[in-house]
Amino acid sequence: MQTQSTPPKAVVPHTYVSLRRWELLGTALFNLLILTLLIAYLFPILYIISTAFMESAQLRDRNAPPYPARQVRFEYEGKERMVYNVPFAEGQRQLALVAPGRTSSEFVDPQNPEAGLIQWEGNWRILVGVYEFHWTWENFNLLFRSLRLPQMLRNTWLLAFITEIGVLLSSIVVAYGFARFPLPGGNFLFYLMIATILIPENVTLIPTYYIFARVLHWDGSWLPLVVPFFFGNAVYIFLLRQNFRSIPKEMDEAAMLDGAGPIRTLFSVILPQSWPVVITVSLLHFFYMWNETRQAALYLSTRRDLIPVSFGIQNFQSLSPVINQLEASALLIMIVPVLVLLLSQRHFMRNLVITGAER
Amino acid sequence: MNIERIQRDSPPTAKRRFRLGYDKTTGLLLISPWLVGFFLFKLLPILASFGLSFTNFYLLEPGQTRFVGLENYARLLEDEAVGFLIVATISTAISTIPLQLVASTLLAALLSSPRLKARTALRTLFFLPSIIPSVAILFMWFGFTDPNVGWLNRFILRPLGLTGFNDLYSDAAYALLIAINSLWAIGPGMLIMLAAMQSVSSEIQEAARVDGAGPLLRFFRITLPLITPAIFFALVINLIAVFGGVILLDRGNTFRGGASPFDSYITYWIFERWQLGYAASLAWLFFALVMVVIVILFTTSHRWVYYPDRGD
Repeated sequence: MQTQSTPPKAVVPHTYVSLRRWELLGTALFNLLILTLLIAYLFPILYIISTAFMESAQLRDRNAPPYPARQVRFEYEGKERMVYNVPFAEGQRQLALVAPGRTSSEFVDPQNPEAGLIQWEGNWRILVGVYEFHWTWENFNLLFRSLRLPQMLRNTWLLAFITEIGVLLSSIVVAYGFARFPLPGGNFLFYLMIATILIPENVTLIPTYYIFARVLHWDGSWLPLVVPFFFGNAVYIFLLRQNFRSIPKEMDEAAMLDGAGPIRTLFSVILPQSWPVVITVSLLHFFYMWNETRQAALYLSTRRDLIPVSFGIQNFQSLSPVINQLEASALLIMIVPVLVLLLSQRHFMRNLVITGAER
Repeated sequence: MNIERIQRDSPPTAKRRFRLGYDKTTGLLLISPWLVGFFLFKLLPILASFGLSFTNFYLLEPGQTRFVGLENYARLLEDEAVGFLIVATISTAISTIPLQLVASTLLAALLSSPRLKARTALRTLFFLPSIIPSVAILFMWFGFTDPNVGWLNRFILRPLGLTGFNDLYSDAAYALLIAINSLWAIGPGMLIMLAAMQSVSSEIQEAARVDGAGPLLRFFRITLPLITPAIFFALVINLIAVFGGVILLDRGNTFRGGASPFDSYITYWIFERWQLGYAASLAWLFFALVMVVIVILFTTSHRWVYYPDRGD
């Protein structure tokens, strides 16, 4: 019973502190792991950004650094000379190449050109250059010169705006119908709608194209791209319906009892509580419209003045084989969706109800 | 019960109005935009393309069109490209979908940890590649994986002591590209799983923790079974993407021409050979293939997907 005299309090704080320390270390390591994962995941984006600002000369250079750079030059006797890292017995020196040769070359020291030429034995081609940070707008200038970007941007914005209104209005109304109203055949129509999501586009492509282009002569106009959206979109209807159903039915029943009609109930009871999903759906649609090239390629190839920016960039890419120009066009086309996503990150795809289980 | 009482007590006009609000006619009226769209843009074109697949419709000579019976379908069986494309599509599905599902579940689990700082920002940044247009992505991968100057060889594979790959057009390089690219499309699935994980009741987790279940056990025995509906949804998204369809997020065409190899083959018969009859039979074969996979998926789903309330 003598052991009881040892106060247990002395032990508890000690383990508590060390546990806390382990906890903190674990948290730090965990955050570091996720950060590393993120950098690895987004690494190719860095490649786009960096390459878009490179000069073409850097692309062929295997020794060039990953960032936009060019080899340091030094003017000597009226000519620009490239600067290389030249190994000597006493160490490496940064020298400008004056007279290249296969077995021996002559260099000059940029720090001290008056000292005259320096002889070095070896093939100059194995030397690695000295690089400095250097970037150019030229790739973007080329894009702006060869594409009518303001017009294309205006087209994309207009298309997105018109279809956004159409698809939101129709999808919201239809989703409300599916969420709250009894329908002939029970859930059959709803399951039919889900099934239409899974139909591959190319099954409907041929007749749709034939009717739009050859029968209705909508070829060369925005109608084939815009009109279908005024009939709702099955995916958006599904998302909206699932979220409408998570709102207690008593609320809109109370409004209906007060004499509000279905449309009034939808706009004054259901919608005010559904902003997250409405924002999500409108963003999904914006991303779709921004990236759209298929329909544009089908119907707008004859009207250069009506094409959206994604299709314009795709056309540009099919002409230009140089990778820095391609990456500049890639950066240009991705910057808008990326900004939209970053600005809307608090609302995008938050609290989405996919099944009845959530919330 | 409350409402019934109110109904009973209120004057007949209010009662009628209330009933009017929820009748089938109003319901049909509300969903009519979709119904009309369904008939015009789905049902009619599907039936038309089915009819078309039994003809020799040639876009340059529409007047010569006649019924050819099963000729197009017989031709399908002899077309070597068809078998190749089916195998290619299935092997793409096998090589990408499990990878995508595991990656998005894992990422969602990591991102839902309360230990993580700046969770909203991280969630957005991990989602970010999924919204980048394919117009931007295609040439990014070509540059990134270029054997001579691409970053993959220079800054990842060689520093790790690997040889890197030398032929961008080899099968191995293409398979690698497809796999990496599929990892860059897991955003929507990841966010749906994240939302599902956050809705898993914390009481159950806490109870299991008190009973001595470690984080791994809790993840596999509690979280994972409860989020199976979200996993199922992600599976359907990824599957449809392999077949060239789109759910939730459309980034435009993937590799060259079409959304999938099969898709571009059909497009080739439409726009380069103008043989719409044969193209329609190809599309229908593809449609049947997708439907078989989907039906198998949905009929087996009750075995592993957890449905809390069947009333929905």
